[in-house]
Amino acid sequence: MTSIDVHELTKDYGTTRAVDHLTFSVRPGRVTGFLGPNGAGKSTTMRLVLGLDRPTSGTATVGGLSYVSLANPLRRVGVLLDAQAAHGSRTARSHLLALAASNGIADRRVEEVLEESGLAAVGRRRIKTFSLGMRQRLGIAAALLGEPDVVMLDEPSNGLDPEGIIWIRELMRGMAREGRTVLVSSHLMNETSSFADHLIVLGGGRLLADMSMREFLDSHRRPGVRLRTGEAGRLHDVLVRRGFRPVPGDDGRWTVEGVTAEEVGKAAADEGIPLWELTELRTTLEEAYLDLTAGRAQFTAPATASAAHQEV
Amino acid sequence: MDMSTNAVLRSEWIKIRSVRSVAYSLMAVFAVTLAVTVLATAIVGQAEAGNADYEPLFSAFYALSFGQIAAISFGATAISSEFVNGALRISLTAVPRRGLLYAAKVSVIGALALAVGLITSFATFLVGQMFMGEYAIGLGDTGALRAALGGGVYLALIALFAAGLTTLLRSAVAVLSTLIPFLLIVSFVVGDVAGDVAQYLPDQAGQLVLHQNPDGDLGPWTGLTVTAAWAALALVAGWSSLRTRDA
Repeated sequence: MTSIDVHELTKDYGTTRAVDHLTFSVRPGRVTGFLGPNGAGKSTTMRLVLGLDRPTSGTATVGGLSYVSLANPLRRVGVLLDAQAAHGSRTARSHLLALAASNGIADRRVEEVLEESGLAAVGRRRIKTFSLGMRQRLGIAAALLGEPDVVMLDEPSNGLDPEGIIWIRELMRGMAREGRTVLVSSHLMNETSSFADHLIVLGGGRLLADMSMREFLDSHRRPGVRLRTGEAGRLHDVLVRRGFRPVPGDDGRWTVEGVTAEEVGKAAADEGIPLWELTELRTTLEEAYLDLTAGRAQFTAPATASAAHQEV
Repeated sequence: MDMSTNAVLRSEWIKIRSVRSVAYSLMAVFAVTLAVTVLATAIVGQAEAGNADYEPLFSAFYALSFGQIAAISFGATAISSEFVNGALRISLTAVPRRGLLYAAKVSVIGALALAVGLITSFATFLVGQMFMGEYAIGLGDTGALRAALGGGVYLALIALFAAGLTTLLRSAVAVLSTLIPFLLIVSFVVGDVAGDVAQYLPDQAGQLVLHQNPDGDLGPWTGLTVTAAWAALALVAGWSSLRTRDA
């Protein structure tokens, strides 16, 4: 099994606790989204898994072994931490060649990943001449070098153009389909919902959620429908009589919260009111996430905290 | 296949040769020393040779004082390239055994500096003497071969000394801006004032090997050993920092 297992992981920097008794497993065969606001501990957790930082307590293993004890780790785990970290004076090719050489990976793989990441034409250019998107592609190329069974990508779509974002999304989904373990951190909700099957959510260094995307959305779903009808006045009265509160929207559609499509559909049918459209409101990942963090005020960023305050 | 030392050595060699400032610093060890040698011996070499306190052997290696600045720069930049923008994280992700990474890096720095140092030292001696006319000495003269070998080793040790300090301080600028003024100014001044203690300074001790008859308590090879001890101390200090710190 090539899962990433984190157990009771804790990391203090001075008096600040960056990661707080974190326990979770990242399983193969699916893309796991690693969510949380900046400073939630995502990058720290990744560094701890890689043995770059030493945990205050707890353990982190990949396939049951600590990363530091892996022979030729790049062949087991592909990593993108910070695309800016590659030395600007090297060419993309020599950067990858040095990495490949250290892990006994054939030079041929360097040409392959340059090709695969769309950098073949600029392989002999110095990295300092690269745009952020190109550096990001180089970082992903480095993660692919050893054809690893586990990949850990920190904010991989940072700086990528729309084409690049689609590329990385398909790449991650493809790797998961092949049975690899894929952990991807992001603070962008809409994007994460486009590729993740499973979610691990951190806040203030603690685990807030570890469940499938479906479960996560369902558990934060507030029932409601959106509808369109030719007899808005009558339907409004009917719904109000049944204790619901329809709210008109700008586009001629009505939104009713706290009700299912079945209930509204039946009510309309009973009264003989034709409905032109009736859809259940779907929770977006962003809404579910905000719902989760709103319940834990100490983990929300100052901006959202004050916004929540105004609503009260 | 297990992670082999050879693989990591090869990787470090690629890393060193692919950063321009590092590769240029290494070439500068040779270029600067030779240029100064040619200029100095061609212009004032024979005139100086007439002085009463003239030391033909030590004068032949006069230019190493300038070449050592490039050696320091090589040792420092080869290490500091790992501390730019967290490049070390990428290196440690590829080679998580820090001892292996550090040993390989230091070995490659040391081997390159030694190779270039020896070539530089011998070339300096041989080329310089071509301008010395009747005052010229050869490798067969007393102490000359020892000085030429020792000069090369000295350059390698100075590069390693700088490499260790840079690992400790995580900055080439910090090392270059303390070490170079130290070698150029402090060591000369202190060397004149406090003779006995000053001979144990890394540069003073190591350069004893360049003298035909070094005075003081240290012999030519013991002097070089003192410099080696300084380099070892710096490398161990660097290792203790690298071993424990979060990357």
